[in-house]
Amino acid sequence: MLTEEARKAASSLKKADVVIGIPSYNNARTIAHVVKAAQAGLAKYFPQLSAVIVNSDGGSRDGTREAVMSASIEAPQLLLLSTPLLPVHRLSLPYHGIPGKGSAFRMIFALARELGAQACAVVDADLRSITPEWIDLLVRPILYAGFDFVAPYYHRHKYDGTITNSIVYPLTRALYGLRVRQPIGGDFGISARLLRRYLERKDWETDVARYGVDIWMTTIAIAEGFRVCQSFLGAKLHDAKDPGADLSAMLHQVVGSVFTLMKEYEQVWRNVTGSRPADLFGFRFDVGLDPIPVNLERMVKAFLTGCRELREIWSLALERETLQALLGVCREAEANPRQWRLPDYLWARVILDFACAHRAMPVERGHLLRSLTPLYLGRVASFVMETEPLVSAEVEDRIEQLCLAFEAAKPYLTARWDAVGAAAAPAVQGAPVEVKP
Amino acid sequence: MIATLREIIERSLQRLAETATTYVPPLLAGLVILLAALLMASVVRLVLLRITKTAWLDRFLLESGLSSMLGRTRPVEAAPLVAGAIYWLILLVGLLTALNAFNTALTTQMVQTVVFLLPKLVTAALILLAGVWLGQFLGRSMLVWAVNEDLPHPRRLAAGVRALVIFVAVVVAADHLNFARSVFLAAFLLVVGGVALACSLAVGLSVHDALKRRFGEPARTGDGQEKSLWNHL
Repeated sequence: MLTEEARKAASSLKKADVVIGIPSYNNARTIAHVVKAAQAGLAKYFPQLSAVIVNSDGGSRDGTREAVMSASIEAPQLLLLSTPLLPVHRLSLPYHGIPGKGSAFRMIFALARELGAQACAVVDADLRSITPEWIDLLVRPILYAGFDFVAPYYHRHKYDGTITNSIVYPLTRALYGLRVRQPIGGDFGISARLLRRYLERKDWETDVARYGVDIWMTTIAIAEGFRVCQSFLGAKLHDAKDPGADLSAMLHQVVGSVFTLMKEYEQVWRNVTGSRPADLFGFRFDVGLDPIPVNLERMVKAFLTGCRELREIWSLALERETLQALLGVCREAEANPRQWRLPDYLWARVILDFACAHRAMPVERGHLLRSLTPLYLGRVASFVMETEPLVSAEVEDRIEQLCLAFEAAKPYLTARWDAVGAAAAPAVQGAPVEVKP
Repeated sequence: MIATLREIIERSLQRLAETATTYVPPLLAGLVILLAALLMASVVRLVLLRITKTAWLDRFLLESGLSSMLGRTRPVEAAPLVAGAIYWLILLVGLLTALNAFNTALTTQMVQTVVFLLPKLVTAALILLAGVWLGQFLGRSMLVWAVNEDLPHPRRLAAGVRALVIFVAVVVAADHLNFARSVFLAAFLLVVGGVALACSLAVGLSVHDALKRRFGEPARTGDGQEKSLWNHL
């Protein structure tokens, strides 16, 4: 799990109380700022603890590793309330294995275990809005409040994080009954106990090794009964995603991980009804956000192409009523591309039907998940049209309505899940969980 | 006159008796063998259905997509499939044994032909099955990919891929059975040549466009249409 270079670094450091992990791939432009913020956060809030900042790099060719090693705090520009007692070490190590964020996390976690860290935090390397307070907010609940997993809570633009808003948050909340607003946020705090659990798992070589790692971590923490909280981090401003990246691959890996974990934790979510809020640390305040431009026309076009061409696959995945209702929406969109809606109840059913199809496999899983892309773009287009005139708080209310639609559809999910069959993989036994809404 | 008539009747009765003594015992034996085979096949199928543990095979059928391909309305399970195959195999062996009981040149030749052809037929059927499965898999891959990449006519592209793969399977199966080899081979070469030509033209045209964009127009910065679809992730 650890490379020779990492093992040597760990044996020379011997011990660290806190490990801050920064997975990276071609982030030379922003990573120095992230390292500086982490260093300042450790020096300011945890001066009495030994700490290491680990950059786990996926083979960057733009000088990311050099940027990490050259980044240091410019002392005159920084007011530290405590004098650091111990130095903060910086390591920049390449990881081996499947290229992706999950493999980078695996190395960070293994190193944190090797160093006997009490807490570990991971932050994205492309962040432009990270401050030293983020480190405090991600680590303190672990060290001093007994939490095992700290999820981020950000203010984001209404069109930012649409996979989270339209699929991952509503589905995770409805399944496991805990309202973790940013389950795939990318910046997390993790206890030593939970780190060990992650490292024990055998599914690191699956989609988890790529974009699926965030939801994998959050789901395991919630479903296995670890103490989970959120920390308010302010705004999340980050570099735009690579336009050449494959949207359908991202969706495939994230949603595929959610569906795969649904099978494993069937006994956990089956008895959950409603949801409860997760504890929130930090002071909530409003912040200005970068506007996110969206290309509505292109999304509608992609949705309509899916409606015309993918009926063969959708008819295998969706219930007859769901398919009929969806085709009705397609007709509306065809007739009036700027004035149609994909309603919440229907979207919830589409996602739950896909989850059941992922279990029953009437069609190969890769095809199934990739055929979701036009539907997802259709849902985002509908959401954009609906929320165009709304302000942030009103949009949050709309997302809350969608979550309630997912929670209301839970009996439908259970009934279909049972109906689609026994041929799926055996589920891990877990204690039933009762959640009071 | 009466003597002649009696002679004819006696001769025909004699022939009938000879035929009966020649063919009725093997016929009866054949019927008994067939009944025994039917009984045995039914018992074996019943036992196999009860005792066969096919979880791994079910999983393979499900994950490979064969299950949904073979079952139109609901996925096929492995146990009935295995039990059914063995049932028909026992019946076939019974039928051949029953035919062999007649011990004539015709039946012997029939049995020999079936025994000689059966493995080849089974192999050819498996090749066809694999071809249909692969055609369906690659056809759907093409369909989903073409839709997500916004290519024109995704369903036609998918149908083309499916037909091509199935055609290749038919050629291989025909070659295995030594059936119309040259016809299939010629058709195969024509199709492959056509596909290669189409691919070359497609690559040539796209490279032409790419070069024109690279040298003839200002490079795209990525701030426009392309990026905007992605920013919201």
